[in-house]
Amino acid sequence: MAVNTKAIKRRIKSVGNTKKITKAMEMVAGAKMRKAVESAINTRTYATLAWDLLVKLSKQQKVKLPLLQVRQVKKLLVVLITSNRGLCGSFNANIIRKTAEQLNNPVNIGRQRAKNGHLEPVKDLAIDVIGVGKKGADFARKMKYNLIASFSEFSDTPKLDDIWPISKMVLEEYEKKNYDKVIVAYTDFKSAITQTAKLRQVLPISEVDLEKMLRDLGEHGDDATDIAVVEPKLEIDEYLFEPNAQTVLSIILPKLVETQIYQATLESAASEHSARMMAMRNASDAARDMIKELNLNFNKARQAAITQEIAEIAGGAAALG
Amino acid sequence: MGTLHFKIATPEKVVYEKDIFQVSIPTTMGEITILPHHIPLVSVLQTGEMRVKDAEGEHLIAIAGGFMEVRGKNEVVVLASNAELETEIDLDRAEKARQAAIDQMARAKAGEDIDFARLQATVDREMNRLKIARKYRKLPPPKEN
Repeated sequence: MAVNTKAIKRRIKSVGNTKKITKAMEMVAGAKMRKAVESAINTRTYATLAWDLLVKLSKQQKVKLPLLQVRQVKKLLVVLITSNRGLCGSFNANIIRKTAEQLNNPVNIGRQRAKNGHLEPVKDLAIDVIGVGKKGADFARKMKYNLIASFSEFSDTPKLDDIWPISKMVLEEYEKKNYDKVIVAYTDFKSAITQTAKLRQVLPISEVDLEKMLRDLGEHGDDATDIAVVEPKLEIDEYLFEPNAQTVLSIILPKLVETQIYQATLESAASEHSARMMAMRNASDAARDMIKELNLNFNKARQAAITQEIAEIAGGAAALG
Repeated sequence: MGTLHFKIATPEKVVYEKDIFQVSIPTTMGEITILPHHIPLVSVLQTGEMRVKDAEGEHLIAIAGGFMEVRGKNEVVVLASNAELETEIDLDRAEKARQAAIDQMARAKAGEDIDFARLQATVDREMNRLKIARKYRKLPPPKEN
């Protein structure tokens, strides 16, 4: 029996140590989450205002800019945003599963949706992947997708300058017509408990998808800006453009794409940290339960040992007497 | 005379939001000053200093890249890639960032594959921040190099 209590005691200690670690990780993730959520919310104003302006501009005139052109899809680019590190519950699994599901159905994902009918993609649609975060890149490699670039050097709250290489690459490749459609796969942060994996089209810039993304932004966060009010209060003809609408648009559009990718990165970061926080909280809770049970077992074993000893002594005394 | 509702947003945060009397903004077409009851206008920004007059007096704001919109109903919105209030600029950091960008540019000239235009923009931006910060602190303007 003595050996048994010793083993249990050792076990309690080891579980206790694990609990300390998971508890610490939970708190770290919690602090990071708050920061990430804050920056995700801060970006919303900019995104909403930029979109607002774009709507006004596009109402005034139909400009032919490459970023607005809808082409038949022959090649598709997916920007897959995941985390660098594990131990964050099903965060990476969810976004990867969702992406894989969509990529297995290329006709659906390659279709260009427009208000006046759809444009079907070509049959042998090629798909390339940009991996943001190590886990996504690993997945693309394993599944034999063509991984054209991998970015994994981000801090927990990325700055706009950090994601510049990604947006630059995406914009350049699109303008060169190497890709006909660009999709971002990210995890939308709804609350500390719910995060949803999402795929959004960023190029060509489509009203439908931008509106969807902005609406999603509006759903959570208390200071969500009112997106419904995009209707210009003034007739667009009254607007003055300096130097001209074309120039203004050619500056706004890339910014908008950049902002969208930036927003997706921030949402993913916020989701990652909250997923990790939840995973670690669950681990801490499980460790606590385990310790409780082990303690009970330990006490039982100890009591059993004492009882046995007393019985032996009593037995011995009786034999002598 | 009335006031303008003025807002500067960058992708990272809302830098400034207040009712103001007037604002001077550097655009690619030259500096313009917006007063209340301005007609709706959309324009492209240039790296430079923006001067805002509000109830507290005049503020300098370093901005770089982006665009601005004057809406009806006395609303002005500036969407900049970077914007910083004079009081918030960290002199040392700006100087370091500028130096780093200049170093990188030297390397770019040596044949490394770096985005030159972007670097030049960074140098300009940091120079602009330095200028404004020094102006605010009543120091002599930074040396060009």
